[in-house]
Amino acid sequence: MPENMSISVNGQSQVPPGFRFHPTEEELLQYYLRKKVSYEKIDLDVIRDVDLNKLEPWDIQEKCKIGTTPQNDWYFFSHKDKKYPTGTRTNRATAAGFWKATGRDKVIYSNGKRIGMRKTLVFYKGRAPHGQKSDWIMHEYRLDDNTTSDTNIVSNVMGDGGQEEGWVVCRIFKKKNHLKTLDSPLASGEGRRSHLFDSCDEGALEQMLQQMQRGCKEESSYEGNYNNNSSSNHNYGRFTNERFMKLPSLESPKSTSMESQHNNNNNNGGDKNDGYHPIIASEMGTDNEGSFATHHHQAMVHALEVGSGGGGLTNWAALDRLVASQLNGQTEASRQLACFNDPTIGYCTSDHDLQFPTLRSSSTAPTSSTSTHARPNAAPAPYSHTQDFTSEIDLWNFTRSTLASSEPLCHVSNTSV
Amino acid sequence: MGDNNNVNLPPGFRFYPTDEELVVHFLQRKANLLPCHPDVIPDLELYPYDPWELHGRALAEGKQWYYYSRRTQNRVTGNGYWMPMGMEEPVVTSSSNKRVGMKKYYVFHVGEAPDAGNTTNWIMQEYRLLDSASSSRSSRRRSQPKPDHSKWVICRVYERDNDGDDDDGDGTELSCLDEVFLSLDDLDEISLPN
Repeated sequence: MPENMSISVNGQSQVPPGFRFHPTEEELLQYYLRKKVSYEKIDLDVIRDVDLNKLEPWDIQEKCKIGTTPQNDWYFFSHKDKKYPTGTRTNRATAAGFWKATGRDKVIYSNGKRIGMRKTLVFYKGRAPHGQKSDWIMHEYRLDDNTTSDTNIVSNVMGDGGQEEGWVVCRIFKKKNHLKTLDSPLASGEGRRSHLFDSCDEGALEQMLQQMQRGCKEESSYEGNYNNNSSSNHNYGRFTNERFMKLPSLESPKSTSMESQHNNNNNNGGDKNDGYHPIIASEMGTDNEGSFATHHHQAMVHALEVGSGGGGLTNWAALDRLVASQLNGQTEASRQLACFNDPTIGYCTSDHDLQFPTLRSSSTAPTSSTSTHARPNAAPAPYSHTQDFTSEIDLWNFTRSTLASSEPLCHVSNTSV
Repeated sequence: MGDNNNVNLPPGFRFYPTDEELVVHFLQRKANLLPCHPDVIPDLELYPYDPWELHGRALAEGKQWYYYSRRTQNRVTGNGYWMPMGMEEPVVTSSSNKRVGMKKYYVFHVGEAPDAGNTTNWIMQEYRLLDSASSSRSSRRRSQPKPDHSKWVICRVYERDNDGDDDDGDGTELSCLDEVFLSLDDLDEISLPN
């Protein structure tokens, strides 16, 4: 047996090569946090105290280093204080942002016995209503109240009441971008695509699909993800405009003329949105207002079917485009008109061209559509033309393959007329 | 689990070496007959242990077992054999991206070698140094014949979970549900003003 390794973590660490601090949740709670709350000495000071209000995640990363080995997560104790003397909420704001709880707390068991809870939080940069979500995630572990009755955690109230004061042990890490890859393939760095078809993502996709079927809120749900990708925001305006630019051509009964128009626009990147023009055309040509919902639904379903053939990557894009194109044609036409006069947009159309969608904005407009398009920065990320998409070529190819769905989509709509 | 610790570390420390550490800290030193510090990985040479016999013999950490072995053409065990999968991958240093070794995957089959036999969920990652010819490290002792690095390997054996859920169990990553909640947060943020 080799000599007892002397490890000083806070000085220069002597953690032997190959060893990492990778505690189980049970170890975090039963060993470290339990000792902490009962003021017992912890042999090795691997978990430091951090004032969560004073340190940003990237500072914690620096402060809570263990040795010199690369780390994926960082651990610390934090003492939770009430945000307000009278309230029960915890203040988790820092100088640069704030931690916001997400989801539901998870129960932590040890040998079948409940020992504590885990709360998941996300770090947002900025101030509360307008924060920008980051990839920093925190798991905050607290002991169950009844098991810490001898400590400074006073409350024994069941539920959330007792969780807002006292010591917790936390782990922060940077989220791997599983779902983000679905939403914004171009923004993904190398290696992220490999996660795309992990078993996990199938489940996630499944869940997201279920969400989508719940109705009109779904746009917000995934468009919210797009907001993370600020680099693509500026593209949306142009994209939307391009789409409207081409609407006039849809009045033409011949699809050939549409195609030529598309080709003309290719150098503007306009070839990406060919797929749904026929839908708009067929919608436009529909006098039966009542069938709008049916069209909408069928088109969405069809997009899902088309998309699922190739791994589901563009389901969201296709759906987004469909929904957006439908809604654009309904309410937002007048709003969008303003954009066309923007001199920064390189192309302009005649008023005549734009009247068609305006005419359509009659009575069928679902009011919820306003919320969707009041946010021009909710960019469908796949359309952003950034330079680093070399590894994503196949995604584009797939996008194009959905473009081929324009004909069937058109048929779907037409049959229900 | 974890009967590896001749190393005195507090709870929570585990043997989770990177590929680079396995090759540089353990394999290179072993091959050069330098003391490994800590000397936690046992040498099982070419004993024909089945993967389920490794526990108690190899260094165990969680559901993974580590041991030294030697390069061999046929990794045959008492009840089966390790069949190579795919190509070898290079192991590179994180600092300079320099190639220091190779990593090869095997899957364990029960039965005799020629039959495809019964595939199991047992996987082995075999780490080896680069072939002596290509290893251009200036040898420390010119006078002595260069040790044959190439014969030493480190094997990491683990049993793949059936559900494909590799190491999500310890809460080190976000679950799918967490991810959905995260995206629902965006919904909150956006819908509230309306």
